[in-house]
Amino acid sequence: MSLFCRAILVSVALTSQLFGTLSAASAADAPSGAEGIYAAAPPRLLQIRTLVVDAARQTSTGSGFLVSADGLAITNYHVVSQVALEPGTYRLEYAAADGSHGDVTLLGVDLPNDLAIVRLDKHDAPFFAFNKAAIDGTGPQKGERLYSMGNPLDLGFTIVEGTYNGLVEKSYNERIHFTGALNPGMSGGPTVTADGLIVGINVATRRGGQLVSFLVPAKFAEALLRRVSTQEGTPNFRADIARQLGAWRTALYESFAAAGFRSNALGPYRAPDAAATWFNCWAQTNMGAKPKPRARIDTTECSSDTSVFVAEDLNTGAIRIDHSLVTSVELNQFQFASALTQQAQPRLLTAGPLRKWYTSERCHEDFVRAVPGPKHPPLRAIWCARAYREFDGLYDVSLVAVTQDDGKEALVSRLSLQAVGYDEAVALGKRFVETVEVIR
Amino acid sequence: MIWVEILSRHRDVATRLRLEGPEARIGRGYDNDVVVDDPYVAARHLRIFRDDAGRLVVEDLGSANGMFLDRGRERHERIITDGKMPIRIGQTLLRIRDDAHEVEAERTVPVHGGRRRLVLAVALGALILGVDVLKRWLTETGEPRVSNYVTELLVVAATTVAWVGIWALLARIFSGHARFLSNLLIALAGLLVFSFYNELVQYLGFAWTWSVPASYEYVAAWLLLGLTCFLHLREVGSTHLWPKGLIVTALLVTAIAVQTIQRSEAFSASGRQGITQVLMPPAFRAVRLQDQDSFFGDIATLKATLDSDRAKARPDDSGRF
Repeated sequence: MSLFCRAILVSVALTSQLFGTLSAASAADAPSGAEGIYAAAPPRLLQIRTLVVDAARQTSTGSGFLVSADGLAITNYHVVSQVALEPGTYRLEYAAADGSHGDVTLLGVDLPNDLAIVRLDKHDAPFFAFNKAAIDGTGPQKGERLYSMGNPLDLGFTIVEGTYNGLVEKSYNERIHFTGALNPGMSGGPTVTADGLIVGINVATRRGGQLVSFLVPAKFAEALLRRVSTQEGTPNFRADIARQLGAWRTALYESFAAAGFRSNALGPYRAPDAAATWFNCWAQTNMGAKPKPRARIDTTECSSDTSVFVAEDLNTGAIRIDHSLVTSVELNQFQFASALTQQAQPRLLTAGPLRKWYTSERCHEDFVRAVPGPKHPPLRAIWCARAYREFDGLYDVSLVAVTQDDGKEALVSRLSLQAVGYDEAVALGKRFVETVEVIR
Repeated sequence: MIWVEILSRHRDVATRLRLEGPEARIGRGYDNDVVVDDPYVAARHLRIFRDDAGRLVVEDLGSANGMFLDRGRERHERIITDGKMPIRIGQTLLRIRDDAHEVEAERTVPVHGGRRRLVLAVALGALILGVDVLKRWLTETGEPRVSNYVTELLVVAATTVAWVGIWALLARIFSGHARFLSNLLIALAGLLVFSFYNELVQYLGFAWTWSVPASYEYVAAWLLLGLTCFLHLREVGSTHLWPKGLIVTALLVTAIAVQTIQRSEAFSASGRQGITQVLMPPAFRAVRLQDQDSFFGDIATLKATLDSDRAKARPDDSGRF
């Protein structure tokens, strides 16, 4: 999933009238369907541009929409992230679908939900209102027709018809599965029901999918809007982003640890898999390969789709567990150890440029027996970790454990955690190696 | 009887002259007993005669450039020669000896010595190639292909022969003897030691979880290369061993320093550890199994290192997250 859209649409809603019906200029009075909805959109549908201050040219564009008469608009955090992180280098501008344009000020961000609130230099303009059922969680219904708006690829404002398909399953962050063609540049644009009320905010599409798109549920935008309208002044965004990232990943790892590991059989071994529901698990084997492999490798991999967009070049927060059962077909013990060496290299999951975001990697390895007794095989374990340069208390960690109970068969288990607290990672690592068992 | 030897720059005898008279003269002019074609030598430069004790004395006949002992800077008017220390006039080295000059005792020709060394060289070569093939086979995880093995062996053999060839050529130029077999033995011994060291490092890394030798394997490789080069240089000429040793040491220190800097810069640029974790059969484990608490206790201490890395990477907190 990736959000390389940069477009913002504007919706209208007074903070005091969040769930109100649309004003006279709204879609309610217009012809039905996409045509009617689009007819009412122009003054509140926006393209949001990030400009390089010195060059006065756009470096990226997204969409957005007005949600209040006094010029508050919603977009994606990733549309305005450059301004949030480097306010001296970048600035924001909007261009509305009705041709008006002007300056944009960033007011607040919601990192986990990829949302941002901005203020436009625009007053008494019509705006989008939220769909009440979407806010309180009772609607819309699966299959309901939705309309998504934005400015794809800087080609001009468009409206796209699609279907509501409920929330994405196996996802830690709540996202609406929208079947419709979202394109880069439409990020931050509104998706509305047939009566023109906001259901979600365009955020991402699945690369390689067909019309598989994602929306941030409107309730998060409404919550952020309420938060921003009570705040005084603008926060220090860098500090705010670090705080939000810290809080979000604390909750993530608490949830992960609470679910714990469940034991899964792999040949004679039992290996830990994530018990949390938001993991996607797959298996593969090399037994179909030609020429016939001299060591059989059966791999299972469970990964969470929990990365959040922090900056242009940093999406972090993924968790991955993989296991490879390696069995010698015709290798001797030395050759088998070489095959195992290739499988067991410690690899940290990299979320961005190494030198910009991370400190150097530090590793420790040793022979371990997690729990005394024949059920727990001796392990050769390697732990590698690196710190985030700019986020105190955040680390990337990779733990690889290779069973050492047999010269021609072994389990290579790997736990990879991004943006984790060190002590949490150690505690998870302990539980992980404790769950590796052998039954012969 | 007086023997006059004119030496080359490498102290080999270039010309040897037997003078029958009790006295001899040396210079550029044709009225001398020994004529030296050196523009820095006077027309009448030296006189050689015997003193009352019968010792050979060399006397400067008043040349402009004078007479010196070997590399000495002190000018001599007269030298009582011992027949060992060369005398320098202009750019020419001379040795004056009388017929009573003592020579070294006869050396015995080693019986089959050459053949023994040949057998040793062949055995070493075979051992190296055998170890190479064995290593390759033991790390073979795909389909073994004969051509891969043959190519590798040919490359090793050809490189070794080329290396030895260069040293033999140098030895031939500077000392007159190629000493191919000696050079070959030196090169093979170096290769063999490196090959075993490499295996030892991997064994220590796995069995004893001791990765320090692996981290500094490049230092060992340079030291070994330096030592090998020094031994080759000794074959090229056994004189001036101190300066040769110093040059090799200087090059070695430079090479190690440069590579150390490169490695540390590569580590700080990429942040990746350059070492491959090598696994071996479980039976090789030589240390006892850690219990979980001590293993994770060690891991917990890494946190302080990472935090200090972070503090170093971020000396200025302003404008940061």
